[in-house]
Amino acid sequence: MSSRREFLKFTGAAAGGAVAAAAGVDAAMASTGPPLDPDRVGVLCDFTLCVGCRRCEWACSSSNELPHGDLADYDDTTPLANMRRPDATNLTVINRYPASQGQVKPFHAKVNCLHCEHPACVSACLVQALKKDPHGPVTYDAGACVGCRYCMTACPFQIPAYEYDNAFTPRVMKCSLCAERTSEAGVMPECVKMCPQEAMVYGRRDQLLDLAHERIATHPGRYLDHVYGARECGGTSWLYLADRDFTELDLPDMPDVSPAELTESLQHGIFKGFSGPIMLFGLIAVIMKSAGLRPDDRLEDDDE
Amino acid sequence: MPRTIVISLALILAIAPMSTLASSPVEDPHGTWRPEPAACNQCHACEKPSPEDPCLVACPRHGGHFYGEHVVDEGPDIVIIDQLADLYEPVVFAHRLHAGMANMTGGCENCHHYSEESGTIPPCRSCHDADKQAVDLRMPALKGAYHRQCINCHLDWAHENACGFCHEQANGGGVGDVDTTDIVGIPHPLIEATDQYNYETSYTEGPTVSFHHTDHVEEFGLQCVDCHRGDSCKSCHDTGAHEVRKLDHVVTCGACHAERNCAFCHSVEPRDRFEHNARVGWSLEPYHETLDCRTCHGEPQQFRTPTGKCADCHIHWETGSFNHRSVGLALNEEHAELDCEDCHADRAFQHPPTCEACHDEPLYPEQLPGEKVSRR
Repeated sequence: MSSRREFLKFTGAAAGGAVAAAAGVDAAMASTGPPLDPDRVGVLCDFTLCVGCRRCEWACSSSNELPHGDLADYDDTTPLANMRRPDATNLTVINRYPASQGQVKPFHAKVNCLHCEHPACVSACLVQALKKDPHGPVTYDAGACVGCRYCMTACPFQIPAYEYDNAFTPRVMKCSLCAERTSEAGVMPECVKMCPQEAMVYGRRDQLLDLAHERIATHPGRYLDHVYGARECGGTSWLYLADRDFTELDLPDMPDVSPAELTESLQHGIFKGFSGPIMLFGLIAVIMKSAGLRPDDRLEDDDE
Repeated sequence: MPRTIVISLALILAIAPMSTLASSPVEDPHGTWRPEPAACNQCHACEKPSPEDPCLVACPRHGGHFYGEHVVDEGPDIVIIDQLADLYEPVVFAHRLHAGMANMTGGCENCHHYSEESGTIPPCRSCHDADKQAVDLRMPALKGAYHRQCINCHLDWAHENACGFCHEQANGGGVGDVDTTDIVGIPHPLIEATDQYNYETSYTEGPTVSFHHTDHVEEFGLQCVDCHRGDSCKSCHDTGAHEVRKLDHVVTCGACHAERNCAFCHSVEPRDRFEHNARVGWSLEPYHETLDCRTCHGEPQQFRTPTGKCADCHIHWETGSFNHRSVGLALNEEHAELDCEDCHADRAFQHPPTCEACHDEPLYPEQLPGEKVSRR
């Protein structure tokens, strides 16, 4: 299996990385993959345009070969009465929120993987089954996954789901930004393509950021002056516009750095120059010395 | 020595403006936006635009580019929107019906945010490309352009996103024939309105205002839009009925009856419907009952009261041109030749005729200048 070979290569690279670290090379980004493309893609999702038609849910499930009903079944808005999260069969969901000030129609927000610029799930993955594609998407390789589900606990947005009902080949399930399709030029993710309102725009992330700020500047009354994902968790590929504070839409107030930043700096800091093991064994040596012990003392005691 | 000073001074003077020019930051006319190099002609009309002469084309994106006056009937009745039909059948859009409704609010501009300076309104697809990829990120493609126009209003009163309201799902992905005959030529279905509304007001002298809706439409000839200007579909079609209908969206009575005193509308008891004879003592029967009020009274804002003299309006009544049988009297041969004024002194047709000009003793109405016939 190629993924196993890749995994072995990865462990080899990790060992090499440790050697490099010992040699004093900064390998802080080694675990999260190569540097990102300047022209990496993203999606700008304007919640003020979303009408909650759930067509993106249908497009996502049908294109990813997940169980889905007929297109007309998605006219049913009763699921919107409850707050939902993506699960193993629905990689994106629409939630309904109270209407904006002076409006009658309710407000909607789309939930799916935000494809962080510096993803905690990728950082937590032991076997590099999750990878940050330099072009934008956070992709998943079921062949490499060992099912530890660290990614699920690591994700600050609690996005990855698990196929608990699949006993033999369970997968971690999350939006892939349709990476397998969008690698072809001119193809956009299925949800973006489907959206009747064109509430989502797919394109270069830097251009989308400009576009988001331009919309805020053009319609100041319509938007809160905040592009969610511009800086949250070190930035995300999905960018959101709304008329209200994003915490009201269940998008958490996040610091500007990725949660992976802290764990990685701790890990890499401890092992920098092989200092962790040296300190540990040094400490043990000091304790043994002060206790007047020699490594083979105990063995001799046993013989007595 | 002085020569060197002069030269260096001249040099300093020459360089100084250049250096200030170089140090002032050149403002990027595009701001943060980085346009595609190939797309210059989307905004610029000339080959080499400069900050001094950007030669911008009218940019529909920023509004205020709608020219000319348009009437509802001028647009197409039905528009079949089939450029995007894929998962759904083409949409049969009742354009004239929507144009009529738009007439109550912002007019054509409600949807058509752009027209050429000649007044021609181009179809949506001439700017909004059907191919989502081909357009710039700032402009919705055709699908988004259509849906944003329709859904934003429909949601206001339907409160649901049923795509089936406009779309019929395509069977097997194919596009079937669209039968347009079922809606072609049908304007807004007749609205059943209450004949009479009795509004209670806080005015103690006359707390009741009786408004006869049917009379205003049928008798006084007002069009819906005359009063329901600025009304929206939602005020009637709001299926969620979230709001109590308010009067602030209609043109109120004062728009027509501004010159009148309070008692014109306000009364203690509800008023009966308007009857000309009961109100002003002048019966409209039989000749005037079919007339529109404006024929005699002018426009509501410049209401005028006729003097009661027939000749004020009927200035063209002359012998030969007036069929006397229409008043129920066919003139005999002797009288048919006479001028109107010979019997109707001073052309006061509203009074009975006099016979004294020719006859010694009063004869009318004992003897008639002809014979009675049925009117008209």
